[in-house]
Amino acid sequence: MPIVELQNIRKVYDTKVAVEGLTLAIEPGTMFGLLGPNGSGKTSSIRMMIGMTVPDSGTVNLFGQPFARTALHRVGYLPEERGLYKKMKVLDQLIFLGQLHNLSEVTARKRSLAWCERMEISEAIDKKTEELSKGMQQKIQFIAALLHEPDLIIMDEPFSGLDPVNATLLMDTLVDLRKEGKAILFSTHRMDQVEKLCDEIALISRGHLLLSGSMRKIKSQYPRNRLQVVFSGDDSFLQHPGIAEAKNYSGIAEIILKDEAAAQPILAAAIANGTVINRFEVMEPTLEEIFIENVRASFGDAEAGGRVDA
Amino acid sequence: MHNIWLIAKREYTERIRTKGFIIATVLIPTLMGGGIFAATALAKHSKTASHIAVVASQPQPAADLKHELESGKDTTMQVDILPSSTSLATLDSQMDNKQLDGYLIIHQDSPLPQQATFDFKPRSSADIATASAVTDGLHEVLSREYLAQHGASASDIDSFMHPVTVNIIGKGGKKGDSTASFIVAYILFFLMYMVVLMYGMNVARSIIEEKTSRVFEVLLATIKPQELLAGKILGVGAVGLTQVGIWMIAAAALAAQAGAMSGVSISPTQAVFFIIYFALGYTLYSSAAAALGAMTNSEQELQQLNMFLMMPLFFCMLMIGPIVSNSNSTLSRVVSQIPFCAPLLMNFRISLSMPAWWEIALSIALILITIYIVLSVSSRIYRVGILMYGKKPNLPEILRWLKYS
Repeated sequence: MPIVELQNIRKVYDTKVAVEGLTLAIEPGTMFGLLGPNGSGKTSSIRMMIGMTVPDSGTVNLFGQPFARTALHRVGYLPEERGLYKKMKVLDQLIFLGQLHNLSEVTARKRSLAWCERMEISEAIDKKTEELSKGMQQKIQFIAALLHEPDLIIMDEPFSGLDPVNATLLMDTLVDLRKEGKAILFSTHRMDQVEKLCDEIALISRGHLLLSGSMRKIKSQYPRNRLQVVFSGDDSFLQHPGIAEAKNYSGIAEIILKDEAAAQPILAAAIANGTVINRFEVMEPTLEEIFIENVRASFGDAEAGGRVDA
Repeated sequence: MHNIWLIAKREYTERIRTKGFIIATVLIPTLMGGGIFAATALAKHSKTASHIAVVASQPQPAADLKHELESGKDTTMQVDILPSSTSLATLDSQMDNKQLDGYLIIHQDSPLPQQATFDFKPRSSADIATASAVTDGLHEVLSREYLAQHGASASDIDSFMHPVTVNIIGKGGKKGDSTASFIVAYILFFLMYMVVLMYGMNVARSIIEEKTSRVFEVLLATIKPQELLAGKILGVGAVGLTQVGIWMIAAAALAAQAGAMSGVSISPTQAVFFIIYFALGYTLYSSAAAALGAMTNSEQELQQLNMFLMMPLFFCMLMIGPIVSNSNSTLSRVVSQIPFCAPLLMNFRISLSMPAWWEIALSIALILITIYIVLSVSSRIYRVGILMYGKKPNLPEILRWLKYS
């Protein structure tokens, strides 16, 4: 049973179509990446998932039921724009947000303290939010979304503005939560994070779904036509007829193949010429390349330049 | 209900702890009370003490005027009598040196003072006190002289010129003070004006704060916008009631101590109606302010719109005059039923003189109906508006918001 199921949803603001015919499903224990350029309808889609807005048509199912507000107590949400009361003390704030999710004050306090310890911000609990650094505020927001132990965790850009140490801390936490069987949806522009973390992705642009499915499946749709060779000696193998384009950065060659099958003959030709091969790697296109290619296509090449910010 | 309670509780506890709240709670009654006592004290004890010169060709009425102004009831002025040959340029230069506050020229051809004409030249034309003291003094002196010429004896003149005292009998046969009851009515009016506007705007500000800090995105992921709005209005309103309550208790304590002396006191009826009308007025204005807060993105933008809240309040201020002169005229009765004015004006009428009970009941009913209408419109605007950033919406856009689901 999928945790979130969107069926053909559509949302129009005045004349602007925010989301058009979006269908997707998120299974328990999945890390789901929602990708798309700015203004593509990611936040609009997320808002419909948690009932902040209602779709003009189509259905939203949460936990196998049509959307109901009571289901929201099983959802944790980290909005893109961080939102905390500036003047409120961290602990009071966490308890308040926990109570809004139906926790008792005692439970909320206990869990807040435990999470602050886990997120290494225990020293901040008596401070006002405005006195904290951005990264700390983000961790508090992160905790606030998780206090009530939600089964569905929705995070809009969870890692933006964090240093690598803290970003890793948050990522590890999310991975732990996935192991516990929670469904996690997050949106990001950082494709390396998506490649590392996500089991499934959906790519939307201009309100339309361009791609969706498991990361493996999507990548397998693209030819493994990239080749990196680290070598010394003779470089005549770079003239092999199977190569569409080759760049040689003095001993590191980046090659785009005409055909996946050309890789082995090139290796054979290089060895036959006596070239010393230190590394030979056939690669699939990166998610970033897939992203840019698809988004460009959706806009039409001419206007894509300014809008794609992967 | 649980969520509304939580929101209201947070709003209340956070606000009541702020320095601003504590300062306003203590300072405003201190300033107001101090101001009133100072004003009444000054009015009682201030006597004009200017130094003027009188240029006269005849001894009378100049001498009597000098006597009147130097040792009269309300004046302790210094008066020099100069012959009519005195050069006015000398007097002008003395005025420029601030040795003189003004001079009076009596043009008089015969000893009969009734035919005299008077020119007064003050150093500052804004010095109304000296000018009116001179006018009053002349009036007194001339009246006395006229009576003396017609054969009245000195004691007859004294008893004739003796000022009349009218005792105002208040409710319950006690000797009241109509000035004091006016003062109370005015204080209550301006206090109401201030708290209704202040707390109404606080709701709008608090909405903008959540909007700019994006907190509501987190909140709306669990609770409905209507609950958020209701909790906010209740929480901020409770802070207002607490503050007003503290002021009322302070006023009661003050009245018990100093009230008897100054004659200024707030009756329990006035206090009860003040709290009722504050609660109603606050709810009405804060509901409207909530819509303004939801439409705007910053305090600056809010300030451009808050004239919509100020306008009815200004209108109420214009209505004070007519109501004071006749608090039961048709005009007074009609304007005090306008829902946006009733909290101020009906309460003002109550503190002046009790209107008929049905008028009070009608005004409360009308306010409640208006609150219902305003609140349902605002909560729709609020629901959509808080999710809109950036550009300020225009009227057609806001009307479209009302239709969104």
